[in-house]
Amino acid sequence: MEEKTQIDPIIFGDNQFFGINHMSESKAQQLAEKFRDLKAITDVIDIAYDCGINAFMLNTHERTMAICDHFRKNSARYSDLRLYASMPYAHKYASAVAEKGIFGALKDSIFSDSSTKDIFGMLTKGGSVIFDRDMVRVMQILIDIEMKIFRKLNVSVLFLQNIVTDLLLGFGVKKAFVEFASYIKEKYRVEPGFITMNMPRLVDFLLDCGIENPIVCSAINRAGYFMNPDSESYEKTLKEKRFRPIAMSILASGAVNPDEAVEYVCQKLKIKSIVFGASSKNHISETKQLIEKYY
Amino acid sequence: MLRAGFIGFGRMGITHFSIINAHPSVKIVAICDPSKSMKTILQKYLDVEIFSNYQEMIDKISLDFVVISTPTDSHSEIIKYTINKGLHTFSEKPFTLTATEGREILDQLHNKNLVNQIGYVNRFNEVFIETKRILDGGIIGEVKNFRSEMYGATVLKDPKTSWRGKRKTGGGCMYEFASHCIDLVVYLLGQPDKVIGSIMQRIYSSDAEDLVSSNFVYKNEYNGTIMANWSDETFRKPTNIVTIFGTQGKIVADKHAYKIFLKEPNHDNRFHKGWNTRYITDFGNSVRFYVRGNEFTRQLDYFVDCIEKGRTNNISSFAEAHKTDVVMEEIANDAYRIANE
Repeated sequence: MEEKTQIDPIIFGDNQFFGINHMSESKAQQLAEKFRDLKAITDVIDIAYDCGINAFMLNTHERTMAICDHFRKNSARYSDLRLYASMPYAHKYASAVAEKGIFGALKDSIFSDSSTKDIFGMLTKGGSVIFDRDMVRVMQILIDIEMKIFRKLNVSVLFLQNIVTDLLLGFGVKKAFVEFASYIKEKYRVEPGFITMNMPRLVDFLLDCGIENPIVCSAINRAGYFMNPDSESYEKTLKEKRFRPIAMSILASGAVNPDEAVEYVCQKLKIKSIVFGASSKNHISETKQLIEKYY
Repeated sequence: MLRAGFIGFGRMGITHFSIINAHPSVKIVAICDPSKSMKTILQKYLDVEIFSNYQEMIDKISLDFVVISTPTDSHSEIIKYTINKGLHTFSEKPFTLTATEGREILDQLHNKNLVNQIGYVNRFNEVFIETKRILDGGIIGEVKNFRSEMYGATVLKDPKTSWRGKRKTGGGCMYEFASHCIDLVVYLLGQPDKVIGSIMQRIYSSDAEDLVSSNFVYKNEYNGTIMANWSDETFRKPTNIVTIFGTQGKIVADKHAYKIFLKEPNHDNRFHKGWNTRYITDFGNSVRFYVRGNEFTRQLDYFVDCIEKGRTNNISSFAEAHKTDVVMEEIANDAYRIANE
């Protein structure tokens, strides 16, 4: 397939919509309250879109289906929309895992999606899914279930969320990464991407897996926040390895001032893609202008 | 290279595996788990020996240490076996289900040069480490009163099919959840002399409590309350909050930041008079390999480091975790007595 090598320079993030703030529970609560209604979310998306930001990060959160329905209903309004999807929304599975164990939670996710015809090939006589035989197939079914959220929308990249990426990276099972990448490329014609808290290690591993010029999204900021093992390794990897980096958490949850943050990422590290989230018109346009100034 | 074996391969076992598998001086050689599906998958994708019986694994494979992530009611039996076989042992929290079992293990451990650690991960969170330093340094003066809270949306319907929902297997809010919030108090302020006014309530669980509250008394010098609720859906992730009031100030800490109020400035620590906020981004450090949070890596790296350096005075040792077990048993007895008055 044709490789879409161009990643959008500015991607609008989604954490704020889902009340996610890594630093403060009270800020998270304020966000959850602010974005209680779908309209509050789509209003902010519209502000960003009208500012000329066409690329949006969207995790498969419980509320994402409603946002995507809005895009589908108003397809003319969002004709240039490009989604950077990420999956899974791990918290969605956390309580199911606590309640029923890993396999119980997986089974529930698969069976709750009644339209998944594929699962019939995976049943034993007792009615349980044969995880033992083919974990790759289980992964594919889970991808299919989550990809339905984005049907008929223009998805540029599908990211594996950092909790899963990093867990699998620790396991070092190459097959998991290779199969994920090839499945979504072949079935959905979408580029695979990986979100990580361990960028240098992941980039080496992906290149080792034979995944060329991989798309890797990671926190990159002057504070070194969420950059493991250290900023120096990040800078070295950016300089020496061939991959397509996307920077997130550039403000390190407020520890770095915006001007310095963007200067560090764009000028010093020469990164060409940034994810940022914001909730107000001023903040969105100011950040966009700042990024454009330093690009 | 240290050789490691894993006992129990559920949610926590998998996390620990990922972190330790990426450790440069450890080779994981064996895993033990009763699940057939898990065994088949592991055999297919990993280059380790797989067992369904932990004794067989320990007897057959040469190991330096084990990581135990099994339901709590099995900890005591497994730990006794690993200690007996001379293995350094890391176990998930809590330590044991009864204080008696814990004492037996501590006796067994006596004079043995074995590293032993329980997964009380808050002890490896940099904000709480900093909070302890502030308390030990007397920066807020003499402690008079405190509150340790923990909330999360872990159980929002009856977890009757899981061991986590059953009292007997070590399930329920106190052992599975509140243990973190109680251990944090033991870590920061020590073991209370007395617990009073304890209440354990059910919200969703049919066979265990979902909410625990209690009051800790320290030789009548100071006291505090604990409150843990694992059925609070207003919290996206499990959240610990500690508030400690002293004669010279007050500190409020969670995993990401702390606020300290001081009556007088403290120049050594660059604290102004009044409120000072410090975020983890101001003083936190990165880790070798991140999976679920820095503290998860930090606790396991510390454990491996203790083995390599032959250090057995561990920050989160069995003896420390035993104090938390004793407190939990006292809370349960106190709550039972009050409920039946």
